[in-house]
Amino acid sequence: MDTSDIEASWFQGVRAVSPILLGVIPFGLVFGVTAANADVPVLAAWASSFIVFAGASQIALVEVMDGGGTPVVAVMTAIIINARMLMYSADLGRYTAGQRLSRRIGVAYLLTDQAYLVTTHRFPTPTRANGYFRFYLAAAISLWITWQISTTTGLLLGTAIPSSWSLEFAIPLTFMALLVQAVKDKPGLLAAVVGGGGAAAAITLPFHLGLLVGTAAGIAAGMLFEKRLR
Amino acid sequence: MTMWLVVIAAGIATFTIRFVFIALFGKIEVPPALERGLRYIAPAVLAALTVPTLVAPGGQFDPWNVFVPAAIIGGIAAWATKSIGAAIVIGLPAVWLLQWLV
Repeated sequence: MDTSDIEASWFQGVRAVSPILLGVIPFGLVFGVTAANADVPVLAAWASSFIVFAGASQIALVEVMDGGGTPVVAVMTAIIINARMLMYSADLGRYTAGQRLSRRIGVAYLLTDQAYLVTTHRFPTPTRANGYFRFYLAAAISLWITWQISTTTGLLLGTAIPSSWSLEFAIPLTFMALLVQAVKDKPGLLAAVVGGGGAAAAITLPFHLGLLVGTAAGIAAGMLFEKRLR
Repeated sequence: MTMWLVVIAAGIATFTIRFVFIALFGKIEVPPALERGLRYIAPAVLAALTVPTLVAPGGQFDPWNVFVPAAIIGGIAAWATKSIGAAIVIGLPAVWLLQWLV
């Protein structure tokens, strides 16, 4: 692989993720503001950005602890919210098999919805492993830096950002945009409909379990439909 | 102090979730059924992340709130332009306009 190809992969990764960063910045600000206004040690909440590095679960940690919840419930909630990354890990494992340990640890630590989805969209099958990794790492590191800066800024700003701006809405908007790109055929559409409908129907389940129930139902529906088509 | 322990425990657990299959693959054979299922992760999980947030903001079921049409507008914008940025640039002002209208 020549150098121009290498540069292209780094650059393509940053470019592919840059519109997503636009949605991550408001989400990071919202987490920072939430933590600054909660009754939890600010430094520990700030450190969760690089110790946990998973936005929805970080917000849940702060909210559970702020509401007087027990530490065990807080950690369990974070685990269940982040359990979907088991699936990403299983998929990425196809690409990382045979890579050196330090690289696999880096890939795992930096794993997020956005980094996984944007890379899978660009490389649907495990070919051209080196280009894949450069693309993934470029996207994932961009996300990491953006997350650290935006959550820190949110903590420093505290109450200065009015909630009427609905900045947190930027995240479902990004997911919506990724969703319309991820649906490529009829089984994929069914997976989305069942996944979204199932998660909404199961919303009363504790600890965000509806997310996992809906996703599992969606994947099963897609696979069954694909089987019937053949 | 408790918050620090919670953050560190959640950090270790989250890294384990991220790492477990990356560590195992290559050592174990992947069943073909699992391989096929992986293709539907993206549409299923994205819809499962998005739909409940939209139809039940704050955990209360309320499908007629302003975020639902704004997200549909953002989704159409992303689909038509093949751009994720378009969903935000059009969807966020859409929610401000709808909030102002209702």
